Amino acid sequence: MGGPCRLRLEVTTRGAADTAIAAAVSEVRRLELKYSRYLADSLTSAINRSAGTGTPVSIDAETAGLLDYANTAWRESGGLFDLTSGVLRRAWDFKSARAPEQRDIESLLPLVGWEQVQWERDSVYLPRRGMELDFGGCVKEYAADSAAAQLRRHGVSAALVDLAGDMAATAAPSGAPGWPVGIRHPVSREQAVARVLLPEGGLASSGDYERCLVIDGTRYGHILHPRTGWPVRGLVAVSVLARQCLVAGSAATIAMLKPPGEALEWLANLGVPWLAIDADLAMHGTLAPVNAPAR
Amino acid sequence: MSLLMIVVLCGCETVQPWERGILAKEEMQWQTNAAEAQLRNQIYASKEASSGGAGASGGGCGCN
Amino acid sequence: MARPKDDRNASLLALTSSALLLPAYQCAQADAPPEFTELGMRYSKYDEDDILARKAFGGGSERYEIDVAQFHLLAPVADQWSVALDVAWEDMSGASPWFVGESASGSPKVIMSGASIEDTRTEVSGTTRYYYDRGNAGINYTYSDEDDYTSHAVAVDGAFNSEDGLTTYSAAVSTSHDNIDPTQGSIPTNTLNARKDINSVWMGVTRIVSKRALLRFGLSYTYRDGFLTDPYKGDDRRPDERKEWAASTGYRHFFEAPNAALHVDYRYFNDDWDVESHTVDVAWEQNLPQNFRVTPFIRYYTQQEAEFFYNIEEPGYEHFSDDYRLSAFGAFSYGLRLRHDFGNWSVNFDAERYKTDESWGIYSGEESPGLVDFWRYGFGLDYIFR
Repeated sequence: MGGPCRLRLEVTTRGAADTAIAAAVSEVRRLELKYSRYLADSLTSAINRSAGTGTPVSIDAETAGLLDYANTAWRESGGLFDLTSGVLRRAWDFKSARAPEQRDIESLLPLVGWEQVQWERDSVYLPRRGMELDFGGCVKEYAADSAAAQLRRHGVSAALVDLAGDMAATAAPSGAPGWPVGIRHPVSREQAVARVLLPEGGLASSGDYERCLVIDGTRYGHILHPRTGWPVRGLVAVSVLARQCLVAGSAATIAMLKPPGEALEWLANLGVPWLAIDADLAMHGTLAPVNAPAR
Repeated sequence: MSLLMIVVLCGCETVQPWERGILAKEEMQWQTNAAEAQLRNQIYASKEASSGGAGASGGGCGCN
Repeated sequence: MARPKDDRNASLLALTSSALLLPAYQCAQADAPPEFTELGMRYSKYDEDDILARKAFGGGSERYEIDVAQFHLLAPVADQWSVALDVAWEDMSGASPWFVGESASGSPKVIMSGASIEDTRTEVSGTTRYYYDRGNAGINYTYSDEDDYTSHAVAVDGAFNSEDGLTTYSAAVSTSHDNIDPTQGSIPTNTLNARKDINSVWMGVTRIVSKRALLRFGLSYTYRDGFLTDPYKGDDRRPDERKEWAASTGYRHFFEAPNAALHVDYRYFNDDWDVESHTVDVAWEQNLPQNFRVTPFIRYYTQQEAEFFYNIEEPGYEHFSDDYRLSAFGAFSYGLRLRHDFGNWSVNFDAERYKTDESWGIYSGEESPGLVDFWRYGFGLDYIFR
């Protein structure tokens, strides 16, 4: 799932913990095998292979649920959150400090557009050859929630699932108000910019300073705008705390896609704890430490 | 009783599915030990003139 | 402490409600089949106090005792089914009140049957249950066999959750066909062979009140038809039908600081024999370190006497019974359960003391000399195959 994953749980006997851990780990593996776009036999790859062939791909209730959810996120973000935008990565090489040719970007833009995706309860179809769905924007967060649900089902009352920074807690450890978790510094990754106590629910972060691109002195993030095909000049990092890691993750992603001023206002209106770091490394939000700039 | 029920039900808050962890705890179930509860109810029913209330009454026995 | 606030924002609400339809958030309340096979065994002892010399002709004597062994197996089958098998064996021995007579001083006393009763009962019960998205439904068959009594019963029940999962509607119907074939021995019996049918319906509503509280209401109606007289009690003549109503309510509340759950249950019962009763049950499930749990409980019961209950029979009545179980009385019982979980095992002990007295009831009536006090002890062992 890209990055270190960690489980922390409070149990009294080893035997019960082992089966619970095994169930949580296999749940994460299951979702990875099902939705990874890198694995040839994943459902995502099957959907992408059938793009433009005229044959829809059968899906189960879980996938239909994720598509419904992605549709809600697309609508709520004014079209910014778009599972089809991953195809734009073909034009961008974030390792070089060079922008692609505008015509290369423009040739990919017709393949982007959530409104083109045809999906029903039991099938999905991408109408143009070359179109791609990428569940990467929501599956890691969903997997954190789902692994936490597995731990709960196996009788573990207090647990924290951490999938490379996307976290889900079932309940606070006994005697403590929450799980102590740190929000990573966008530049010095080993350093925490803020510490929060997560009682139950999810914490998700979006933003990657290292993978940004500087072109003609302007810094661009690695998140691509679905309509322009260009990286968004938005916030550097956003963390959101919500009852589900999935919702926290989409809120953070949507904020990253918006222009900075609009993003901060949108986050403030959400009514959940949040932290945002702008291009000047200034911190904003209810979780921002007082008088402590990130730099 | 139906009036009381309506009043009580209106006083409930919306509890989201992920907030139902406590309610799913074993000690929050209607019966925490089914075998013991079954025997207990059978004994009470055979020594008292009342029975039932928590489900349809099961099979009979010669005890009452 | 960072705690998510209420989802008042429209975007957050839209995202949240859309997310909640995904399987990971469909928190298992009661509608998932058991994940693992469960096996349980229990031994219990039921032991009535001796009847006091001043209440019985012929001096004090031993009463009834029962040894009970129970076996329970619950297993998931396919994805959406479970099967359960319950078997119970009971070994009963001792004496019970035969009839009530008037002593020389004028006070009623019981005449015991003598230590003649010796019986065993075997009960086999099979249940299969189907779990669907918003509820579950089960069918049960129970067969019970004693030397002098057999019963076949079938019960069907179902539960259905509201869309938000906050309310569960349940219903059950059951029918039992029983055959009474009293053992012919030292005392004459009221019948040689008779039948009785019991039909019952029940409806219930369970509601999530808060993150920590559940509330339930139930209403049941039971119709008994056939030979309802006690075959062994001297001159017992009861009506051949009985209509019973019971309304019940239950409440569960979890307290985080003591890590304990409060259980409160109440039942109101009423029937066309003029019996009316109230039952209150309170238990405190206290979790302790190292996976121990201790549960003290108390129960209070009070009933009004049946319209045909008299200690001493007066001539001319169509129906008559001197059975102490139909007299007005109050009963207190209290006990303790202790449970310890270790790995896949769970062990539990319990003890209960039950005491009756005519003066403890809220209804006045003739005091029966046959009122019973008893002890109950149990020991159980459960295993989960996970």
